[in-house]
Amino acid sequence: MDSQLREIWATAPGTPFQPTVGKDTQFTVAFTLLLLGVALFGGFTLNRSFINIPLLGVPASLALAVGTVYMFCAPPLFKAIASSTRQIYQLLKCISFTAKVHVQITQDGIRFAADHSRVMQGVAFLDKELFTTYTLNLAENEDGALPQFQINLAAFLEALQIFGASDVAAKQAKADAEPYRSNLRNYRPDAFSHQTLGVPGTCCLLYEEDGSPLSIILEETGVKTRCNMVTYTPEQPDDIPFDRDDLAFKIIMHSKWLLDSLSELAPMSPTRITISASPNAPFLALSSSGALGSASVDFTSGRGLLDTFTIDTKWTQSFKFDLVKSATEAMRVASKVSFRGDGQGVLSLQFMVEVEGGTTSFLDFRFVPYIAQDDDDEIDTDEEEED
Amino acid sequence: MVLLRFTLSEEGVNALRDALACLNKFSDEVSLEAKRDKLVFTALNSSKSAYAAFSFASSRFFSKYHFEGVAQNREKFFCKLYNRALLSLFRARTGDSLHDPEKGGSVIERCDVAIEDEAGKKSRFIVKIACRNGMTTKYRLPFEVSPPVHAKFDKDEAFNSWTISSRTLRQLMDHFGPGIEYLDIHSEDDSTVNFTCFTEKVASGDEVLKKPLHTSIAVEKDEFDTFDVSEDKLHIVVSVKDFRAITQHAAFLGSEVSAQYSMPSRPMQIRYDGDGVKCEFLLMTVGERGAPGQRTKRPRAGARPTPRAQQLEAAASRATSNAPTPAPRPPPATRREPIPSLRPTAPRQSQRPPPATLDHESLFVPQDDDYQWEPVRMNEDEEEEADARLEWDASDRPNPSAVKMSSVIANQTAQRNGPGPDNSMEQDQALSYIEPTQRLSQARQFGLFND
Repeated sequence: MDSQLREIWATAPGTPFQPTVGKDTQFTVAFTLLLLGVALFGGFTLNRSFINIPLLGVPASLALAVGTVYMFCAPPLFKAIASSTRQIYQLLKCISFTAKVHVQITQDGIRFAADHSRVMQGVAFLDKELFTTYTLNLAENEDGALPQFQINLAAFLEALQIFGASDVAAKQAKADAEPYRSNLRNYRPDAFSHQTLGVPGTCCLLYEEDGSPLSIILEETGVKTRCNMVTYTPEQPDDIPFDRDDLAFKIIMHSKWLLDSLSELAPMSPTRITISASPNAPFLALSSSGALGSASVDFTSGRGLLDTFTIDTKWTQSFKFDLVKSATEAMRVASKVSFRGDGQGVLSLQFMVEVEGGTTSFLDFRFVPYIAQDDDDEIDTDEEEED
Repeated sequence: MVLLRFTLSEEGVNALRDALACLNKFSDEVSLEAKRDKLVFTALNSSKSAYAAFSFASSRFFSKYHFEGVAQNREKFFCKLYNRALLSLFRARTGDSLHDPEKGGSVIERCDVAIEDEAGKKSRFIVKIACRNGMTTKYRLPFEVSPPVHAKFDKDEAFNSWTISSRTLRQLMDHFGPGIEYLDIHSEDDSTVNFTCFTEKVASGDEVLKKPLHTSIAVEKDEFDTFDVSEDKLHIVVSVKDFRAITQHAAFLGSEVSAQYSMPSRPMQIRYDGDGVKCEFLLMTVGERGAPGQRTKRPRAGARPTPRAQQLEAAASRATSNAPTPAPRPPPATRREPIPSLRPTAPRQSQRPPPATLDHESLFVPQDDDYQWEPVRMNEDEEEEADARLEWDASDRPNPSAVKMSSVIANQTAQRNGPGPDNSMEQDQALSYIEPTQRLSQARQFGLFND
């Protein structure tokens, strides 16, 4: 890295570069110039004479040339640069239960929403704090309509994994060269990896304009990778309605407890999970029954595990187990979960993920319950009797 | 009504999990048998060539143990459970060292198990696990009331025995790689014992399906605590998979393993004890027919009992219990010994371990299951358990009824006369004799038809 460049960089925030034509107006300027150029050129071809060369021909070519340059220099609609993709990857992996996700770019960050047949919804919000540079150039005339599209999440995650791949490759090469040393403590983080040394690598997300592909440009140690993701027309699914004003209960607890309870239920391979919250013991109970038997987890003597517990009346709903289970990745990475249910029976799980560097991100899951059936109630009462 | 109720500490859960994991290597299902003084878990593998039993002493192993019993049978209660479900609920739980650093490793505070069986209610095996952090998990598993099948071992017959530390045995077994089938244990001379692992070559046309591999380890007799084998160079061959399952579990307990056996094609017993646990295994040894120097015994009449007792028992238990019981099964159609291979039985003098005739995993087993192997007589009323025996039929003949009586007699006399020069020849005659009514599939074994 050139030291002079670093100085320029260091002083750059104090004296921002101001282009003669503002960034926001570059497109319009370029467009008018091009129009003018084409018109003059047309006039010149109609009446070709020596006088018309300086009068029409030269301005036409100038207008065309300058217009084209400005057109190319017109800034992309959205551009964000991050120095590490780990957090982004970690967050997006939690909602990778569907193939396509809906992406919405806002001034505060990027919102990824995954939707599973309108009964489960997972939202990951990448705050602009996660990026070193974050620019969204909204054209004024469009009333600030936010760019939104759909992408294939699996492909996106795959592309993000390329970042750091050269490190892995280097490590692999080293392991092949020195089999003895690689057997020894190869689980340790390498002190000379690019990540530890802070050798700059950048991940740039680029969205040129509406309908263009989303580009991921990864640059590290002289290798530049550009992945273009096809963007699909947004489907604009409505969010699962969750009525914050009609909360039936609200629990905040360590997400590990929720993960533990689910892993207690999972071996019975159940199809549905019944969640009930009640003002007195057992406070919160998760139960399910499957082919191998039934299982239930309760917090009767574990009231202390629930950091916050507010409830009015008993709330019991059942959900598809596999859907709730697809949020386990989020439970693993998160530190706390806000566990809420509304009057309609919709369950909301909001996870707080603490990423490196002190920033917190949030993952939001919503589940639509099964319609309560009579035989369900029968089973429930039966279970209670046996208890 | 609660028939049985017991409480386990975390160590108890761990020990039970180890036992269940070991039983899981024998069979998917585990039989539970509860008595006032002990709780027994048993498993018999599908080919009925291996049997495992873990007996937990009620006074020492459990923190609390209360056996009520059903009204009809105050003495004992038995049921069958699906082992995978049991394993998953007794699984090792990871401690939360972050939240509770001083109790990092310990998660389970107590584990209460109860078996409920009452008219008008669901019969369930109920496990309640209370974690230290306050979470309580309750499992209800269905069970099936069916009498366990016990394999019996005749101690008087077993005149060969040895004892060895389980750790030494485990270390020995670690030397053998994967993909091997049989373990041959034989004493070489006065000072060494040979452990040989091998796989029989199985070839179909040009393709070799199983690679023959021999790994041999010579062990000093001093490594054994006792070694008492009356007969020199007695080859005893068992399945490695079963033997390994045993050695792995024995190494957890770290106690002495003792083995008792008589001769090839007769069962071998392996026993060891832990704290409040008694472990007993019976393995069928792979035998070679008419091997010289072997006193071959004909199976006794008691070895092929009638299935009536078991059926009665099952019927009685169905009347007393509300849990689902299977219909009394017809006698299990287990194949008897497979058709012997064409391999000559003569090269006994060589170092080669005996070929496996009870090869259950062989690809060349007869498809026709018309030999019905009568199940065990279950004499449940007997306290001594001496009668309920499952014995392997050690007879060498492929199908006694199919073979002409004269050849049977000739075979027997030849064997009774001990090793003779004409012994193998006689046998070959008996083997290569093909009945006109023989099935085509059997005839194919001899390679007469190529298809």
